[in-house]
Amino acid sequence: MKRIIIDREKCDGCLNCNIACISAHEEGSNFYTVNLQSPDAETRNFIKFDAQQGYLPIFCRHCDEPECVLSCMSGALEKDQLTGHVQYDETKCAACYMCVMNCSYGVLKPDKQTRTKLIKCDFCDDKPDGPSCVKSCPKKAIEVKEVSR
Amino acid sequence: MNSNFSCKTCASADQKLETFISNLSVDTSHHRMEGQSVKCGFGLQGICCRLCSNGPCRITPDGLKGVCGATADTMVARNFLRAVSAGSGCYIHIVENTALMLKKTALSKGVLKGKVALAKLAEIFEIDETDEYICAEKIADLVLADLYKPDYVKMELVEKMAYKPRFDRWKELGILPGGAKSEVFAGVVKTSTNLNSDPVDMYLNCLKLGISTGLYGLTLTNLLNDVMLGEPSIRLAPVGLRVIDTDYINIMITGHQHAMFAYLQDRLIQDDVIEKAKAVGAKGFKLVGCTCVGQDLQLRGEHYKEVFNGHAGNNFTSEAILATGAIDAVLSEFNCTLPGIEPICDEFKIKQICLDEVSKKANAEMKPFVFEEKETQSNEIIDAVIEAYQARRGAVALNMNADHGNDDTLTGVSEGSLKSFLGGTWKPLIDLIVKGEIKGIAGVVGCSSLTAGGHDVLTVNLVKELIAKDILVLSAGCSSGGLENVGLMSPSAASLAGPKLRAVCESLGIPPVLNFGPCLAIGRLELVATELAEAIGVDLPQLPLVLSAPQWLEEQALADGAFGLALGLPLHLGLPPFVTGSPVAVQVFTQDMLSLTGGQLIIDDNAKSAAETLDAIIEKKRQELNI
Ligand code: SF4
Ligand code: SF4
Ligand code: SF4
Ligand code: SF4
Repeated sequence: MKRIIIDREKCDGCLNCNIACISAHEEGSNFYTVNLQSPDAETRNFIKFDAQQGYLPIFCRHCDEPECVLSCMSGALEKDQLTGHVQYDETKCAACYMCVMNCSYGVLKPDKQTRTKLIKCDFCDDKPDGPSCVKSCPKKAIEVKEVSR
Repeated sequence: MNSNFSCKTCASADQKLETFISNLSVDTSHHRMEGQSVKCGFGLQGICCRLCSNGPCRITPDGLKGVCGATADTMVARNFLRAVSAGSGCYIHIVENTALMLKKTALSKGVLKGKVALAKLAEIFEIDETDEYICAEKIADLVLADLYKPDYVKMELVEKMAYKPRFDRWKELGILPGGAKSEVFAGVVKTSTNLNSDPVDMYLNCLKLGISTGLYGLTLTNLLNDVMLGEPSIRLAPVGLRVIDTDYINIMITGHQHAMFAYLQDRLIQDDVIEKAKAVGAKGFKLVGCTCVGQDLQLRGEHYKEVFNGHAGNNFTSEAILATGAIDAVLSEFNCTLPGIEPICDEFKIKQICLDEVSKKANAEMKPFVFEEKETQSNEIIDAVIEAYQARRGAVALNMNADHGNDDTLTGVSEGSLKSFLGGTWKPLIDLIVKGEIKGIAGVVGCSSLTAGGHDVLTVNLVKELIAKDILVLSAGCSSGGLENVGLMSPSAASLAGPKLRAVCESLGIPPVLNFGPCLAIGRLELVATELAEAIGVDLPQLPLVLSAPQWLEEQALADGAFGLALGLPLHLGLPPFVTGSPVAVQVFTQDMLSLTGGQLIIDDNAKSAAETLDAIIEKKRQELNI
């Protein structure tokens, strides 16, 4: 099972992971063409800045005991036992946003435009060359590691 | 491609060079590319601003404007105009130095080798003067007077040099440049914090800088140099790492200012200097060409057969040239002299001397060229190089590559030499175009880079596609350094051309890719285009002529590109010039430019589809001309 592991110390807040994530979800786009000004542009990862601690990369942990899944009453969020990823099924989502309230890392949010669906890391659909954010991080602050659970 | 898995150098269109570099023990740009492979998305789109301490600001979904309110459109335009201003400044510096050199040469009654160029300039500038020194001085004075005008006083030579329909259009658009140096200044001021925020105004300003850059920095630099150093003439010459001869004391030259070597290159072959070389065990001195000044020397190589051994390679070949161990000194006067050569020079005990204050290398000796002291300076340089030769030869291992390059690159092509080759008239070329034997012309110009597939990869692939479509390619800039080393400028490359172009090339004994030399010679391509347009009686945008800078590298290339667009030509680039974050920029460059100047920007990093697009444009222009 693969997870994105964060090394906070290495992050310099460049936001390349944001661009990569937005691009990964804009069909056919690349770093030159991704439209960051589009209302559809949503990043599934976040970088927070804290005066004491510096940059804090906030990424979905695809938790072992995911609070989001536990709080989801309509079955839209599920932990895939094979990949270990926490997956979201838009068709089942009731837009109650209990998950948003309960995610321990504050990584979830409703979409900006319609506020009817969840914006959540899909691990880039397990693309063979790995998650886009990880490939784009110049500092190697986020890396894919194999974990047991 | 790389077959050696332990090394991670980037690909090169030049297979022999790629192998050579991948086996080197020193670090080169080709090695460093991988470590820099992750790029900043904001930088690529041009939407990062660090003009004030509230920044750096970047355009993100949560921050659609900078703190001050600057939009993506404003940021991109400011960044772009800044880059074009800097690029223009570089070329204007070159033409300023060249004109000063011509003036001093004239005043001191020095050598003026190019009588044809002198007469041509006198005619363009409407100077009626029989004494060639007074004439040369007047030419230099007119150029300098224009360069030093304020930005609110228009330069006078623009109208004399520009093609009439173009001049008229520029006047209508209000983009006739004032003094070229002041225009650079204006571009820098305009783009400072909280000044101009109007993208369209800034792009028009870019066109204005393109005009001053093109007519002065490019075209005039060539012609002024021709007066001092001799006109190009067509010949076959060796190129690549093979040109380095270990029997000689070898000086690699880098930069863009051929005139700075005018005295030295003649001095190096005088008897007393050769004797000095012999005294330390060498046969004499040789200059090895690298970057554009090497291209310039190659272009005028007919006049420098003894001292010049050939052009070894472009900017991203410079580290490899030094790593042969057979170069004893680097004389540099401008870009593109990579910082990456510095540690190699240290390791290989290569003497570095910089001749222009603007391009001091960190570990090099600074010896600003002073015209009045050229004799003593040259002697000092010669002694320093001999000292380096003695200290290093024998102590530094040689790693030659006699197999690299070829012996039959056709060089020396210019607006003048090409026309005389055709019999003193453009008619034969026009006839071939009209008959469709040559479908059109593509100027494949600009730099060499390691992006867009690797070193010269897109350039070479695009050129192969174009010639296969019977499009004649003219090249100027480091692109030609790559194209010549892979053999595309050898007559045998005709076999890679489409059947019609191939037949033309074979009957004339020329390659399908003609080598105009340095990036400065983009100005010569403009002269060719203008003369063709004049002969046919059309404006430039109507010609079946396209430009491409597939692997543009730096700010100067952007100023060149602005010139191309001002001329109204379609301009292809492999990678976007950091503007795609702005919808206005994209609209202006790819659409609106057509109605402004007739030009158009095409971005495509795929050789095949880019060639198809350029081919379609040429076909369309042919149709519009009814040919
Ligand atoms: S893995 Fe993909 S979806 Fe998840 S944060 Fe990274 S880029 Fe976004
Ligand atoms: S959304 Fe939050 S709770 Fe759910 S898996 Fe990701 S990090 Fe864990
Ligand atoms: S790409 Fe890496 S360094 Fe940049 S903000 Fe994201 S985690 Fe931090
Ligand atoms: S000038 Fe404006 S956009 Fe640029 S850094 Fe300052 S506040 Fe940000």
